[in-house]
Amino acid sequence: MLSPTYFLPKERFPDFLNALKSLGQVFAPVKVSKQSYSFKAVEKASEIAFEALRTILPPKKFFYPQSETLVKFEDGEIKECIEEPVFKVIFGVHPCDLAGLGIMDTIFEDSPGDTHYLRKRRTSMIIGLSCMPDKHCFCQSMGTDCPEKGYDVFLTDIEDGYFIEGKSSQGQKLLADAFADKVLERAREAHKDRYKRFWLDRSEAFETGFKVDNLRSTMDLEWENPVWEELGDRCLSCGNCTPVCPTCYCFDLVDVAALSSKQDGSGDAERRREWDSCQFVGFAKVAGDYNFRPGPVDRLKFWYRHKLHGFDDAYGFKTCVGCGRCTVSCPSGIDDIVKVVNILQVARQEKDEGQPK
Amino acid sequence: MSAAAGSGTNHLPTIAVEGLTGCAGELLVILENLDKLLPFVRVVRFPFAQSKNEGGAVDITFVEGSVSQKHDLEKLKRIRANTRWLVAVGNCAVWGCVQKGALCKCKAAEMIEAVYGSAASSIAAEAMDAAPLDSHVAVDVKLSGCPINASQFLAVTASLLRDHLPYIVSKPVCLECKLRENPCVLIEDNLPCLGPVTAAGCGALCPSMGAACYGCFGPCEEPQIGAMTTILKEKGYEMEEVLGRLTAFGAVIPMGEKWQK
Ligand code: SF4
Ligand code: SF4
Ligand code: SF4
Ligand code: SF4
Repeated sequence: MLSPTYFLPKERFPDFLNALKSLGQVFAPVKVSKQSYSFKAVEKASEIAFEALRTILPPKKFFYPQSETLVKFEDGEIKECIEEPVFKVIFGVHPCDLAGLGIMDTIFEDSPGDTHYLRKRRTSMIIGLSCMPDKHCFCQSMGTDCPEKGYDVFLTDIEDGYFIEGKSSQGQKLLADAFADKVLERAREAHKDRYKRFWLDRSEAFETGFKVDNLRSTMDLEWENPVWEELGDRCLSCGNCTPVCPTCYCFDLVDVAALSSKQDGSGDAERRREWDSCQFVGFAKVAGDYNFRPGPVDRLKFWYRHKLHGFDDAYGFKTCVGCGRCTVSCPSGIDDIVKVVNILQVARQEKDEGQPK
Repeated sequence: MSAAAGSGTNHLPTIAVEGLTGCAGELLVILENLDKLLPFVRVVRFPFAQSKNEGGAVDITFVEGSVSQKHDLEKLKRIRANTRWLVAVGNCAVWGCVQKGALCKCKAAEMIEAVYGSAASSIAAEAMDAAPLDSHVAVDVKLSGCPINASQFLAVTASLLRDHLPYIVSKPVCLECKLRENPCVLIEDNLPCLGPVTAAGCGALCPSMGAACYGCFGPCEEPQIGAMTTILKEKGYEMEEVLGRLTAFGAVIPMGEKWQK
């Protein structure tokens, strides 16, 4: 049976926010500079930047924090640090980021499962929100432009209100309770029509993109394309492109020694996991100082490949969800995935056409 | 080096804190954090902070400042001969800092002349081209900063007290900046931020306040100077200003050479 759909008139949004607040701490996009947004704790609807497309960091930060202590060494013992997570409601997550969370879930759930991520993730509710693409959004190309997984409730903006769908059981319960409290109405035919119109208009609204069907072979065949050297020469190896990516999960483990609290010298220390980046020179360095990816161009190509088809074989999905964050966060302007793919595809096509029939 | 049971402080590992040519910024950071160290070490020498200083060998010596004068070098050699671990603290000791950066713009003799006028010749006799400690002696640990970060300093000390050489990563400031979720001032405000080529450790202090990083921690591992220069040039910064910024805090040779290519 299809689950019921609802309508929330915009003037009743503060009541809906109160319903969310009764579940836990609510986080939503907030404007932090003239062109940037960030998911932050909010109390009032007026703090929320409903217009935000991409936040600086994606919502992965709530479940996989930038720095987290995994174990402590104390009194000669190893103690695992498992904090009791507080329930978080993340509001205003767009389809690309929902897909990103879905990918992170798959990765962190994979055997044996990452307790630190999963505990926090299972103590959360994700409220999706529709959006209109800008010139950097290419989720449509990546097939992540419609909400599929990684969320509990989804709101589609239909001008004077929101058309609301519940996905998970906790999402449906939230909506049923808000309906009982008269915050929500049942969606009517007119709302459904506007909902359909919205999604049709939206799929027409994409300004940029590419075809993904030959992506893998294009990347393989154009592995020596001169564009890579040009990009590599401009790459700062600053690593801005990876923390901002909704699906980058690489970390460094660091042991931090503390001065002992004991006079006998038995030490205290902690092991932290901190976000790392494959764009740093030390990332692929191994014993004997051998580096698998010594130059910026090697690292950049690796990253493109990882995002565009590296997961095809292992998981059957691509790890780029087309959010455009890397494009807007690269000080050098070389993470324009759409532009690069277009260059490679044109080069490939020219070669194909040059072949004897 | 772990302490044997006993009373008093004589069984504790010994440390010394010394300064060469520098602004005493690291000495202040160490002084401010000395109370945390005192239960674990005996401070044998710290002329900046105490009047009773002993001679003899110690376990760890923290040295601030660059080698810029002949007596700096003599002192440094004495320090090296009398310590098990030599820790260079601060940009001056690790990279040479502004003293060395200035040499990229002019010759030492011209600088001395401009600053000391008629007294220049007596100064020049004592002066050397400013250099970091490892240009003259073997250095066991390099902890940069301007000044150093206190938690890094305590962690380094804690490692050495357990006979471990600390692992100090030098990823770029951009990492700390992004982990703090700062808007990028290089992108949004076109400020000449050197975060991409500067070693992290400060917690991205300047960009967090909306200012450009000016590189005070010294270069990160394999800084991409060519790309940094290209990007700053595209933003309209003159070559001279870019070079001035890149070389201001020491590490002159590798950065300057790459730039001149
Ligand atoms: S690779 Fe770039 S566009 Fe793709 S998901 Fe990551 S940040 Fe977004
Ligand atoms: S691609 Fe851009 S953001 Fe990524 S490391 Fe290179 S310069 Fe930095
Ligand atoms: S503000 Fe500076 S340090 Fe921060 S991300 Fe931008 S370039 Fe890097
Ligand atoms: S941001 Fe740069 S200039 Fe500012 S304190 Fe850090 S390293 Fe120094």
